[in-house]
Amino acid sequence: MYLNELQNFLYRRITNPDATNESLGDERGPAPRVLEALVRGDQRLSAAERVEIYANVYFYRLLECLGEDFPATLAVLGEDNFAALVKEYLLEHPPTEPSILYAALYLADFLNDHPFAERWPFIADLARLERAVLDVFHAADAPALGLETLHAVPSEDWPALKLRTHPAVEIVHSEWRIADLLHTVEQGREWTDPEHEEASVLVWRQNALVNYRNLEPEERDALVIVSKGASFAAVCEAIATRSEERNRVTLIGQLMAQWLADGVIMATDSMLVTTMRDALPSGRASGR
Amino acid sequence: MNRSDFASLGFGVGLRRPHYGHVLEQHPPMDWFEVISENFMVEGGRALEVLAGARAHYPVVMHGVSLSIGSSDPLNRAYLETLRAATRRFEPAWVSDHLCWTGVGGRNLHDLLPLPYTEETVIHVAGRIRQVQEILERTILIENVSSYMAFRSSRLEEWEFLTAVAEEADCGILLDINNIFVSAFNHRFDPLRYIDAVPADRVMQFHLAGHSDHGSYLLDTHDHPIRAEVWALYEHAVRRFGRVPTLIEWDDNIPDFELLAAAAAEARRRCDLALDSERSDAAR
Repeated sequence: MYLNELQNFLYRRITNPDATNESLGDERGPAPRVLEALVRGDQRLSAAERVEIYANVYFYRLLECLGEDFPATLAVLGEDNFAALVKEYLLEHPPTEPSILYAALYLADFLNDHPFAERWPFIADLARLERAVLDVFHAADAPALGLETLHAVPSEDWPALKLRTHPAVEIVHSEWRIADLLHTVEQGREWTDPEHEEASVLVWRQNALVNYRNLEPEERDALVIVSKGASFAAVCEAIATRSEERNRVTLIGQLMAQWLADGVIMATDSMLVTTMRDALPSGRASGR
Repeated sequence: MNRSDFASLGFGVGLRRPHYGHVLEQHPPMDWFEVISENFMVEGGRALEVLAGARAHYPVVMHGVSLSIGSSDPLNRAYLETLRAATRRFEPAWVSDHLCWTGVGGRNLHDLLPLPYTEETVIHVAGRIRQVQEILERTILIENVSSYMAFRSSRLEEWEFLTAVAEEADCGILLDINNIFVSAFNHRFDPLRYIDAVPADRVMQFHLAGHSDHGSYLLDTHDHPIRAEVWALYEHAVRRFGRVPTLIEWDDNIPDFELLAAAAAEARRRCDLALDSERSDAAR
């Protein structure tokens, strides 16, 4: 038997131990006979029992890993439901990446159409928020735009300054207050169903730690624009259309101060470099 | 393979999440650390900070779990490129992975599965190790795994297979003493015979770990203290292979760092005793 056939047969057996023998068998015969012909059994453990050890290790390792990555989803569903979910999910989306970190990449999408979403209509969004926390934790490093850097840019150049969100920033939109629920679970407190109220959650990383908070509509709209890459002027315009005229300048100032403090935005390189160079006194720019 | 590429690192432990803060802030005495490569093959964030911080104070070895060197799939080039980038950045003392397959058809079982021990598999695996060594531009170590099944098609003993692959690929061997003990129980072979048959000039590192006893089989869980029988095997291995860099693995129910460090100190003590007794015997 070729290595490829052997490995594919074992893969099917390990990842789907509940499948019928007929569905696991092939042209060589039913699965038990193929298995006996491949794997040595003895008085202590039959061939099937030996393969079952691998099936158990596969499932429980991934169950444990996903439970650690999705503690709130686990808390809401309960252990039995979560285990059933993971079992179904792994059949539909078996891990493909070398790192186990990506094993649950599609869990939130899988929950969208899952019967659990009828009983817990917020569950897919909650899983999406937990996934975002994990992704932000491991997202690329990059220099965030800080107050000192921004001060080096002449104020007349600010409108044209191109901004975008830091790679370690995600915004999760939901019709439920899922951040409140995640926070409750993380604090080890008893949770209740979240309020059915539209909410967008900013997830960001600072000093290697992941934070999240609900966004007000003005900030959400502005950050969505920034996430696609936008000039400072366009961002101000977005905030202005959402806010009363007398509050606009204050609000823009508050949001910028908050983003700079949290490290959630960065300037696109070429613009900042050009602006920074232009901002330097001519003597320093010449390298004297 | 050049032995001088492998430093005499001494006695280390696996660097695991519960100890990140302690290691980075306190810099406790420890000869070296081993990290799971895949946990640090990420784009950024805490993991890379931790590895850079640890690397600044200690020698580090990168130990992979997803190379899948025995798979019938093509080698995962993207994975190898990422691994190479990580080795260039963190300059580990060496890189290791397992003599096994971890997936097929582009899917990953996240487990270490045994291979049929045949000449064909030797050629297949050794060729792939050579490719990996070319890509990484370094000699790697391959580790024997714990296993719970064996194939009727096998024509070689496990130690013969490990030896043949290492010789054919011209790579080093990471000899996991606990895995030998676990597999010896599960497949009823003599663990001493295994240790005595592996070529001494290729063994560059030992692993020591705990396992769990399920009655009819032993499971390599890395969640218990090292058993007395495994310590005894280790002493036998030291007498045969000498002072080989030794690493304590503990991946579940992870104890306080002090307990882990005590296990590394115990390995050092037993290594010294075994070598002393060896010298005494030789002097008689």
